[in-house]
Amino acid sequence: MSNTENKKRGSVVIVGGGIGGMQSALDLADSGFKVHIIQKESTIGGTMVMLDKTFPTGDCSMCMISPKMVEVARHPGIKIHTLSQVTSVKGAAGDFTVAIRQKPRYVDPEKCTGCGVCEEKCPKKTASEFEQNLSVRKAIYSEFSQAVPNTRVIDPEICTYLTKGKCRVCEKVCTANAINFEDTEKEYELKTGAIILAPGLQRHNPWRHQELGYGRWENVVTSLQFERILSASGPFSGEIKRPSDQKHPEKIAWLQCVGSRDPHNANPWCSSVCCMYATKQAVIAKEHDNRISPSIFYMDMRAFGKDFDKYVDRAKNEYNVNYHRAMISDVREDPKTGDLVLRYSGMDGKQTYENFDMVVLSIGLEPHDDAWTFAETIGIDLNAYGFAGTTPFRPVESSKAGIYVTGTFQSPKDIPETVMQGSAVAGSAMSLLADVRGTEVEHVELPPEKDISSDQPRVGVIVCHCGINISQTVDVKKIANDVKNLPHVVHSEDMMYACAQDSQETIKNLIKDKNLNRLVVASCTPRTHEPLFQETIRQAGLNKYLFELADIREQCSWCHMGDQENATRKAADIVRMNVAKVSLFEPLTTDSVPVTPAALIIGGGISGMTTALSLGDQGYDVHLVEKNANIGGLLNNVYRTIEAGDVQHFLKSRINEVKKHHKITIHTDASVEKTEGYVGNFTTRLTDGSTFDHGAVIVATGGMEYTPSEYLYGESQWVVTQRELEKQLEEKGPEPGASYVMIQCVGSREEPLNYCSRICCQDAIKNAIAIKEKGLGTHVTILYRDMRTYGLREDYYKKARDLGVLFMRYEPDNKPQVEATGWGVAVTAYDPMLNRPVVIHANFLVLSTGLRPHPSTEEIGKMYKLTRNPDGFFLEAHVKLRPVDFPTEGFYLSGLAHAPKNIDETISQALSAAGRAGVLLSHERLGVSGIISKHNRDLCMSCLACFRVCPFDSPFIDEDGKVSHSEIKCTGCGICSGICPAKAFQVNNFRDDQIIAMIDALTENIA
Amino acid sequence: MPEHAQAHTLSNESQSIERPVERPSDWEPAIIAFACHYCAFAAADLSGVMRLSYPFNVKIIRMPCTGKLDQSYLLRAFERGVDGIFVAG
Repeated sequence: MSNTENKKRGSVVIVGGGIGGMQSALDLADSGFKVHIIQKESTIGGTMVMLDKTFPTGDCSMCMISPKMVEVARHPGIKIHTLSQVTSVKGAAGDFTVAIRQKPRYVDPEKCTGCGVCEEKCPKKTASEFEQNLSVRKAIYSEFSQAVPNTRVIDPEICTYLTKGKCRVCEKVCTANAINFEDTEKEYELKTGAIILAPGLQRHNPWRHQELGYGRWENVVTSLQFERILSASGPFSGEIKRPSDQKHPEKIAWLQCVGSRDPHNANPWCSSVCCMYATKQAVIAKEHDNRISPSIFYMDMRAFGKDFDKYVDRAKNEYNVNYHRAMISDVREDPKTGDLVLRYSGMDGKQTYENFDMVVLSIGLEPHDDAWTFAETIGIDLNAYGFAGTTPFRPVESSKAGIYVTGTFQSPKDIPETVMQGSAVAGSAMSLLADVRGTEVEHVELPPEKDISSDQPRVGVIVCHCGINISQTVDVKKIANDVKNLPHVVHSEDMMYACAQDSQETIKNLIKDKNLNRLVVASCTPRTHEPLFQETIRQAGLNKYLFELADIREQCSWCHMGDQENATRKAADIVRMNVAKVSLFEPLTTDSVPVTPAALIIGGGISGMTTALSLGDQGYDVHLVEKNANIGGLLNNVYRTIEAGDVQHFLKSRINEVKKHHKITIHTDASVEKTEGYVGNFTTRLTDGSTFDHGAVIVATGGMEYTPSEYLYGESQWVVTQRELEKQLEEKGPEPGASYVMIQCVGSREEPLNYCSRICCQDAIKNAIAIKEKGLGTHVTILYRDMRTYGLREDYYKKARDLGVLFMRYEPDNKPQVEATGWGVAVTAYDPMLNRPVVIHANFLVLSTGLRPHPSTEEIGKMYKLTRNPDGFFLEAHVKLRPVDFPTEGFYLSGLAHAPKNIDETISQALSAAGRAGVLLSHERLGVSGIISKHNRDLCMSCLACFRVCPFDSPFIDEDGKVSHSEIKCTGCGICSGICPAKAFQVNNFRDDQIIAMIDALTENIA
Repeated sequence: MPEHAQAHTLSNESQSIERPVERPSDWEPAIIAFACHYCAFAAADLSGVMRLSYPFNVKIIRMPCTGKLDQSYLLRAFERGVDGIFVAG
């Protein structure tokens, strides 16, 4: 046993390269672990790449994920294994052996330039899985334009050569010799310290629901097909058309819960995302085409996330989306028009027939068909439905130590929660492997940088053919020749593939032989290839910032095909302006600052404690600051989770662990008086006088339960909150024969605090089950607006109904009325099903009160300049992809301070904050990027214009009362330099003189 | 360096106002697009990847953010004969 412990490995295998797996990979690789991503498909990206836009911000999905994919691809610490699957796992936590089987790609990604000529010429077509069968792809293809790795794959099932022995057209047209029909399946093993499972989910196939007509009526599509229809890069280029006749649909219906909340025909769970994505699709459709009238047919509107209710309200009020609370029993087609007839009962109980041009089925999420064999191969348990078996207190741990689960494989969830769990599993793996961090990353020795300060610019220009991608449209040789006449150019030549490995050697030799001190490569986009060439010139002893890419492929040859003369002229212009720019480049030194390997955590609730333990286990000092005399926070008053987990037992063991941990210092009865410094280097003084240094700040200030003033609370002893009821039930049990009435959304989902508190539906059901399970002849009635038992919590909603709990809906404009009686209260509620008021006599009226941000949120927000949303919860850096980061570097967020959430979600988020902070604290020094804004104090008038506009708070007022600039915080956006009237700010490599030189070079030939 | 740039921007200001001339039929405007590295420049790349065509007389200058744009760039471009400027980010 002790042997295996000594043999821990500093690498992690991640199964699944969707957004969650990618987040884990980046966090782990950024903090010194070697990462292997095992991906079944030919590209990473998962489900998110198929989506058009995301709720509730309407951000373009591909625009967010594509840069992340590129980052993963070029991270030196990450290796992507595509077309691969795990075939066995041996070993134990710290030292696993993972066997991989990799299918042949038939294309050598090292040689392939991603030009796509093969795909164009390939004669064999089939339906595109990525476009959800709405368009076709070839036998040699890439799933989508932005696929990573950026290469092609041959589908052996349909390739004419691989099935019939004839064709090989792709091989003939590939000038890079990248096609390899001899490619074979490979089997190999990886040694790793931890395993992260992020395989995601599959979409429910609506074929089974014959009554809805999918596969029979052409204009019935799935929600994922509709995403592709909306997408500008989709089958209809973003124009909304219906499949049967390409007509622009005007009336579109969304049918919710197809395959979800349907234990008889499909899956019993709620898929958690469909209410919101249907709302988003309706809104986006309306934005595309104002004539569209969207209708959504649903059971409960589950807008439980942060700012979701406001989004639904906007859809209703500003976009005129019609919401019908009705389930559709069947869809019929009018054969003449292709229109679809829906039959449903209105709120008045009358049958209605309504025609629609198009119907979208909101299909749910479910485990992959092979979930059980997958789990068996890995050696972990699943729950009854095929999701990973986790517990509320350990939401990202599988049944086997050292194997973590994340994302939708754990339970259905949306993108930010997936990203959050991605960082959470990364944090957990960092704790496990803390002592072997950095042992498997390769360090490269570089030659010293040449001093060029006294030399005139000597620019080399490489013009790339990119096979024929550039050269068939742009006269590459002419450009390479003409460019010789430009000032400072001492050498230029054309190359077949500038990015190829041998070309890198040629470039390095050229730099030495011709004594070049600046380089321009005219080829493809700097967004993907700049780091490659920067690395090459650095290896040749040049400062890596003495380089510029001239994009003559994406921005010239590819968009001006067939116009050789003009394309060549434009390419010459592009090269000329980049030569002019690079001639003015100077070597940039990148500073670095030390990092204090310690964290300040504000708030000693379950969130702060969980982050503290994870960071402590990762090996960092932690200062846990709690305002009250005891740590534990809101959980001190909670007894059970909805799954019947013992909260008090869990809380006590957590508090003990925190108290015993040698890395954690607890400061109770204290709060932060002052924090000074910047990312990696903070000093904080507490109100109790203690002072310490730290590198990160985690804000876990928590929340408060709302104390109601409604419904006779505080006036009648029979009116209690759910929390008070929970205590009663725990201490005394339910009152035999009593009638309990619960009212939901007390103080939530209405002005002034119009948000869903997320926990109350489950709280009510938890207590209702606890009452009914005891028998004792009790009655429980829950008055609700929408039951929001999302995800696997739906099971408990069903259980409550099976136990005889009555559910009755009320509308916010017709709330229940409560009157005190001698022995309880009389509740009068309007029952929409009976269409009349009903009076219930209750012994106990239980109010489901919502959550509020903690009052200290406001002062912490002011102290650290952290913004909050209108409801008072802190705003994260990016709603989708940076859910636990603050925009200010070095600050992280978790728990109720972010938004209302359940215990398991709070723990996930707390681990996530620990993962993100762990990435920062793992660095001994923090490098400042070369491309930042430089501040010239001699020119500065301290007018504060920069101070006001900088999104990153890098300009600050120094001890002289003048503006100074913290380069460590600067991202180089240059907003300061745009606004500065004295031009005291200049962004490296985007200086005003450099941009003006580009404009001058570009306009040289204008008459 | 910025002082140097500004001096050029102001050098032709005293010229007399010319009368508008008839546009020749084959006239093509010269257009500079200032594009944010993170969005519009990426979109320009994507249009290439998707082989979507646009007029060749649009030339793109990459910015770290469109907030970096300076009046002097616009004035300089117009002064040097550019007919239109497209800022995208």
